[in-house]
Order: sequence, then structure tokens, then C-alpha cells
Amino acid sequence: MKELEKTKRISIAAVITILVVLIAVLSYKKPKHLYTNNTKSTLENITNNNYFVTLEELNGENLALIDVRNQFEFEKGHIENAINIYTPEILNDYNTNLLNNLKTENKTIILYGSNTNDVTIPFLMLNQLGYTNIKMAAIENSYYQNKLISKNDTIEKSYADIKGFIEESIKKASIEPKPIPVKIVAPKKVITVQKKKKKPAEGGC
Amino acid sequence: MVNRKVAKVLTFRYTILALILVILAAGLVLLPKYQKHEGINPEELLSKAISPERYISTDLLAEKLVNQDPSFILIDVRDEAEYAKYSLPNAINIPLKKLLDEDSIPYLNQSQYNVILFSNDNFNADQAWLLCSRLNYKNLKVLKGGLNEWYKTIINPTKPSENMTALDFELYSTRKAASMFFGVAYPEQFKVDKPVVVKKTAPKKVITVEKKKKKPAEGGC
Repeated sequence: MKELEKTKRISIAAVITILVVLIAVLSYKKPKHLYTNNTKSTLENITNNNYFVTLEELNGENLALIDVRNQFEFEKGHIENAINIYTPEILNDYNTNLLNNLKTENKTIILYGSNTNDVTIPFLMLNQLGYTNIKMAAIENSYYQNKLISKNDTIEKSYADIKGFIEESIKKASIEPKPIPVKIVAPKKVITVQKKKKKPAEGGC
Repeated sequence: MVNRKVAKVLTFRYTILALILVILAAGLVLLPKYQKHEGINPEELLSKAISPERYISTDLLAEKLVNQDPSFILIDVRDEAEYAKYSLPNAINIPLKKLLDEDSIPYLNQSQYNVILFSNDNFNADQAWLLCSRLNYKNLKVLKGGLNEWYKTIINPTKPSENMTALDFELYSTRKAASMFFGVAYPEQFKVDKPVVVKKTAPKKVITVEKKKKKPAEGGC
């Protein structure tokens, strides 16, 4: 009898384990978005490949333009044939479908925003999620009299030589400390103040 | 008859149970596919990335540097040549290409300091930020506008025109003072400095003399 009870316990335990595992498997939800590139390969991608498109190249064949600015900006003016996907909504179901369709159609997706810095985040997100046919437009968009003006943008270009500027300013300044007349002006003021203070004190007595 | 059949099946019960367990164990082999999924999930990463909190303004950074705030480290993600030419004071150079090297990890993945990433504008710094944030490194910030903005606002601030508000003038004077801290010299700096030395010695003497005079005068009346 003892042996029977022991086997009973074993089978009950086994059944329970199986049930637990089954429940776990059933409740496991596959995440909607999965990275296909790890960080290292992404870094290699972005440092070695050229993924910029200039304004002149935007009219090519088999391209899909995507505007990552918000809807308001998009409606104010956008490049012809562009689709609006605002950056925070880039992982929406609807937009994911849209992007997947573009991917299966083998179109090159080109992202643009109000400037190139704007596009970094959506570009890298999509790149990591496995959209390989994706580029970004190195353009800057601004409005002039309610019309969208696009021009080429430069990225990571140093506009000013800061070190040079500092050295220059020191040089410029070190030539000028000689003028003494400035010194004379200031002490004079001090002296007049002293005299005024003395007078009321004398008058009080 | 029924009993016999049941008994027959029951003799296999352990094999059946064991088989099910083996199958489930085999299923586990398929699961790690998702565990290769490195870093935080894309939705979370995106929501972090669109938050403006991850930026630090040049003015705030200048203030921190002037006050010698020890709570942060600066990381320059430009290449070595540009770093050698000019960089922010005490910045560490980690070119974007070497961002995920073993040597760079101790700087980026720690909780002791705030890490401020910068480049010429915020393009490369943003890329570095996104990759590191995916790996769930904490306390990362990006210098808004990068060194170009730094030059425009701190090193060489534009003088406000007369029709601008007092706030603009105040901002200009703090920025100018900050730029002096970072080594920029102004011609008027010398004009102001030297008279100050003269003033300091003279008024002090006058004040003590005045006090002495007042006291006897009060007593006399």
C-alpha cells in the first residue's frame, strides 16, 4: 500500500508540472516587434554604410517617402507622395503593416523630417528592427510664405573652429590692455563719491 | 476486459509522462530564439527616445562646468582628430566606432555619474545614445545641438539687440561670463578688471575713516 501511495504522488506531481508548463506556453505572447540586428551589427551598419540621400535623388524610382514630422507640420506642407508617420507612432500596428508592405514590395524607404537630426531615432529604430532597405534624406525643411522649402543639410559638420576662436580672442584682447586713460576715469569717480559723503557728516554737526 | 485494458495502459503511465516531459524539454530548445533579443524592447526604447528629457542644454552644461559639478562625465563621440583639435574640458574620447568596445563599457554602463554624450551636432551623439539605451545603460544624456550649439551660445554668444527683453540681456551676460570661464578673452575684460583692483584698496580706507568721524559727531550732539 505504501508503494502505491508513493507512485500516486509522483504521478500527481508530474501532471501538475506538465500543466504549469502548458499554461506558461499558452500564455506566452510573442512580442510584436523584435530586433533582428544586435547593437554591434547596427553600429557597424551605421558607421560603415552610406545611408544618406540628397534632395536631388529623391525623385528616383521605387522609393517610398516617409515624413516623420507630426501631422500638423505634415499638413502644412510636405514633399510630394510622402506618407506621414510621426516618430512616436512608428511602432503602431497600422504603421508596422504599412512598412512591412513597403518591405515586401521591395521599395526603398526614405525618411525625412524637419532636419536630419530629426530622423536619427526613427531611422535607427527601423534599422534595428530589420528594415534593411531604408535610407534617410539629408535635407532640411523650412517654410517660406507657407511653402515648404527643402534644401540639402550637412550632418556632423563643425561650423566653427572653437580653439581658434578662443586663441584669436586672447590675442585681440591682449593688444588692448595698454590704454591707461581708462584707469584715470575710474578713480576720479571714486574721489567725487568720497567728497560727497564727507559733506553731510560735517553738516550734521 | 475493461479493467485489463486500463491496467495495460497504466503500466505505461510513467513512460507516457516521461515522454511528455521530454517533449516539453525539447520545446525549451526553441525558446532561446527570443532571448537573443538583446536589450530592452523596442516600444520602451522608442518611448525613451522621444522624451525630451534625454537632452541637456548648453546653458545647463556650462553652469555645471563652471560650478565644477562632479556628478557627470562628458563623452566625445567624434573621431580622434577632431577630439585632439578641440573638446570640452575633461571630456573623454570614445569615437562612435568604438562605442561598444570592451574599454568603453565602464564609462557608459555605470550608475555613479551622469553621462553626457556630444558630437558636432546631436546626430552621432543620438545614435550613440540609442544604442547604449537599448542595452539599458542608465543616466545617459545628449548635449542638445552639440559643439556647434556650444559655440553659438556659450563660446560666442550673439549680443541681443536693443528691442529684446531684459531676460535676453541677462542670458547674454551669463553666457559671456561662462565663455570667459572657458578661455575666451574680451578686450573690455581688461578694462574692467584693472580699475577694480584700484577701487578695492581705496574705498576700504575711506569707510573706516568715515565711521570714526561719525561716532564723535553723534556723541557731540
